[in-house]
Amino acid sequence: MQRREGIAALVRRLDNEPVIANLGPATFDLYAAGDRDANLYTWGAMGLASSIALGVALAAPDRKVFVTDGDGSLLMNLGSLATIARQAPENLVHIVWDNRMWYETGGQPTHTSTGTDLGGIALAAGIRNVARAATVEAFEEALDQAIREPGPWFIHVDVEETGEPRQRPKVIVEENLVKFRRTFTG
Amino acid sequence: MPRIWSALHVPDLPATPRTGLLYNPPAMHWSDVVIESLREHEVWHATYVPDAINWQVLSKLEADPAFTVVPASREEEAVGIAAGIYAGGGRAAMFMQSSGFGNTINGLAQLLTAYRIPVPLFIGMRGGLSEFNEVQVPSARPIPAILDTLHIQHYAPQREDEVQKYVDGAIELAYASRMPVAVLWYAQLVGAKRATS
Repeated sequence: MQRREGIAALVRRLDNEPVIANLGPATFDLYAAGDRDANLYTWGAMGLASSIALGVALAAPDRKVFVTDGDGSLLMNLGSLATIARQAPENLVHIVWDNRMWYETGGQPTHTSTGTDLGGIALAAGIRNVARAATVEAFEEALDQAIREPGPWFIHVDVEETGEPRQRPKVIVEENLVKFRRTFTG
Repeated sequence: MPRIWSALHVPDLPATPRTGLLYNPPAMHWSDVVIESLREHEVWHATYVPDAINWQVLSKLEADPAFTVVPASREEEAVGIAAGIYAGGGRAAMFMQSSGFGNTINGLAQLLTAYRIPVPLFIGMRGGLSEFNEVQVPSARPIPAILDTLHIQHYAPQREDEVQKYVDGAIELAYASRMPVAVLWYAQLVGAKRATS
């Protein structure tokens, strides 16, 4: 499956729930699925998407919080899985699109290309609910369960890169932050 | 003499007889002053990687049900969590030791500064007076210069009776400027760690 198919499936299920997007293709594909105030796009601070999402989940415990992460970024901040497990926010859904490469820098293979299993690491870190998907159907099933049942959830998704050119979203990050925060503060 | 600080920020000390000291003794320990300032400014979350200096604040925050305290595995992660708490409508302070400051730079620059996310940063400074661990020295010494380069304002109270105006002022400045602002705790205020533990 492709990341954008997964993101389309996620966006179809959303009302005002926040989504935090990892830098690079996760941000590009989330924006392409339709900009919304409750999307927070990241453009740097590689690795911190899941940390930001944990913060949002703690500040807004009444909303399901989604983060769409990548394998290269999560490998940079594996400690985040242990921190999430320790806090155990029931409203956090951590989705990792694993394309086994650092796509934005030229497709160099990441450590998941040689067998590192991020789902296994999440489980060993103490994340209660870990699901795996390699098809859109399996992803939708896992996502529906994650929406229905308390988390934290970790959904590890194998994705294929198509190499299609992407349009860089026109987002001003300060404005993005202000709009995103207003979805909580009114 | 002109007053640099407005009357609003002068510590509210109890009336005491003249003691002959250069300043009135503080009403509260510096760590309690920090906690009351966080409460006053509705900063209900704190993220941290522990250090012995900030633990004097954090241990009391953990015991206070009004506050949510989140230990991270690494300082940059603590910056990210604090940013997320603000993005989600809350307010978070971040606590670290000077030795871990270097781990925060990407988060300070690409997240807090780029997105204009206010986070009060409390840094327990090793590497100064009476430091016994030489490795602490080169990581602590450049912190003020690095903060300057990042355009992050920083303040260092030296005496207990200065803590309230510095901490209140730094927190107010952070939210008014929508930028991180750092408070540095030096040995002059908080004492130095002993070589034995």
